[in-house]
Amino acid sequence: MKRSVFALIDCNNFFVSCERLFRPDLEGRPVVVLSSNDGCAVSRSNEAKALGIPMGAPAFKYRETFRRESVVQFSANFELYGDISRRITQLLTSITPRIEVYSVDESFLDLSELGITDYEAWGREVCRLVRQWIGVPISIGIAPSKTLAKLGAAHAKTHPEARGVYSFIDKPAAEIESLLKAASLRDIWGVGRRLAPQLQSMGIVNAYELSRLSQNLARQLMGSKHGAQLVAELNGTSCFGLVEEGTPAKSISRTRTFGEDTTDLGVLEAAVANFCARAGHTLRRDGLMARRASVFVTSSKHKPNYKTWSREVRFQMPTADTGRLASSLIKVLQAVKAEHMEYHRAGVLLYDLLPKESLQTDLLGYVDPGAHDKSNRRMHALDAMNLKYGKETLRFASELLAQSWQPKYHLRSPRYATRWNELQKVRIII
Amino acid sequence: MKKHLPTHQDDANDLYGVSVKTGFPNPSIDSPLDSPDFNKLIIRHPVATYCMRISGNSWERLGVFDGDIVVIDRAIVPTPIDLVVWWEGGFALSRHSRMPLSTELWGVVTAIIHQYR
Repeated sequence: MKRSVFALIDCNNFFVSCERLFRPDLEGRPVVVLSSNDGCAVSRSNEAKALGIPMGAPAFKYRETFRRESVVQFSANFELYGDISRRITQLLTSITPRIEVYSVDESFLDLSELGITDYEAWGREVCRLVRQWIGVPISIGIAPSKTLAKLGAAHAKTHPEARGVYSFIDKPAAEIESLLKAASLRDIWGVGRRLAPQLQSMGIVNAYELSRLSQNLARQLMGSKHGAQLVAELNGTSCFGLVEEGTPAKSISRTRTFGEDTTDLGVLEAAVANFCARAGHTLRRDGLMARRASVFVTSSKHKPNYKTWSREVRFQMPTADTGRLASSLIKVLQAVKAEHMEYHRAGVLLYDLLPKESLQTDLLGYVDPGAHDKSNRRMHALDAMNLKYGKETLRFASELLAQSWQPKYHLRSPRYATRWNELQKVRIII
Repeated sequence: MKKHLPTHQDDANDLYGVSVKTGFPNPSIDSPLDSPDFNKLIIRHPVATYCMRISGNSWERLGVFDGDIVVIDRAIVPTPIDLVVWWEGGFALSRHSRMPLSTELWGVVTAIIHQYR
């Protein structure tokens, strides 16, 4: 049997890195990207992190720090980030079609069939390629399981001597042990905020201790299936395969049931944005564009007052652009508020698909979004589109929204990569 | 008669309403939908290609105007005579040989597009 090898490609401070690509003067300066309502920090440069600005820091609370330390602030420019994310996915797909787009700034690759002999050298070459071609820094973790690959990427990101890459493949047991001991529970995929305190109270404080847990205890603590799988993954046995999509479809759907029912629109927006990123990737991979999309929300069937809600969007120009999909669907999603329902399950469906070759495209390779596009009121809480920021950040963003914070875009950078009239300027040196 | 093209009259077979001279097939039969694709002409590496706009008139006599679109490919390694873009208190464009050593290359210019109307 061929051994499994996964790579996690993780963009460093992704939103900030996208801003810096078109503003190289911000290199070395503290930069934060705030959720679109300017509520809280959803991406921070290393310099901003060093100032003690935490993920999800509410802007109003840190206004003084921002001023004193000349922190450069941006409102989320989702259209820009979506475009850079698309480019990265496209580049990675040309390395191997065995790719799972996990979120806007993370993708898993299955390397087992590529015949790579030196994984770290391979990883460094991919880092260099993404850095040079697309212009943003990434970290790569390589391991026999996805859970370890994620830990490897987290290690590479925080250890400059790793030069962007950490591979678990063929590493001595002692080295792996010390790395796992240094990894906090929260960095482990699938442990999350709820489980971590519970494990800590049992004296399990790092990934190594979790990996030494007996199968029985793991089952007891974390559920019969999940617990056993998590421990196995930490020991290098792959339980979670690549989540790939099948053959080109007539429609593409992405749905999810929330961990717990919520009335928080921010959580819903986050989910919808993530569905769009993943469904958009599938569209582009299959060379398709969507003419129509719908978003649906339901409450729980097991509670009184079961409700379903949905809206359809038609695109004048068919699209495979994550930013366009997400901004249109999130715009219509606002109407769900009037339903006063508890959100239990949500999903996005793309249909009326057609091959992109049947369309005239613009110079950058996709259909001109059109001058009529008034969807400038984009991306509420798109911070949220990244799963890793967790629900607390989102909750905070929407709490601020609830205090009648209107969406503000005055800090949003130009959409440098997607709008002809917002391109960066260049002067000629004679 | 519209369906008989004058140059194809000799030895022509009337196929699908298009006249074809034997030994010299009309290429439009094979690919009726293909028109020249400007993306393919101008963009070699789509994932690595970004655009900017020229600011200023200093190259007007060379036919480069304020507002023209600069196509920049980050995947190409420049030669000294290539036009390149770098950051120097703003994006700057010139021959690679003129780029200050202290600055980092941003990308290589592959085209500058001027639209007359």
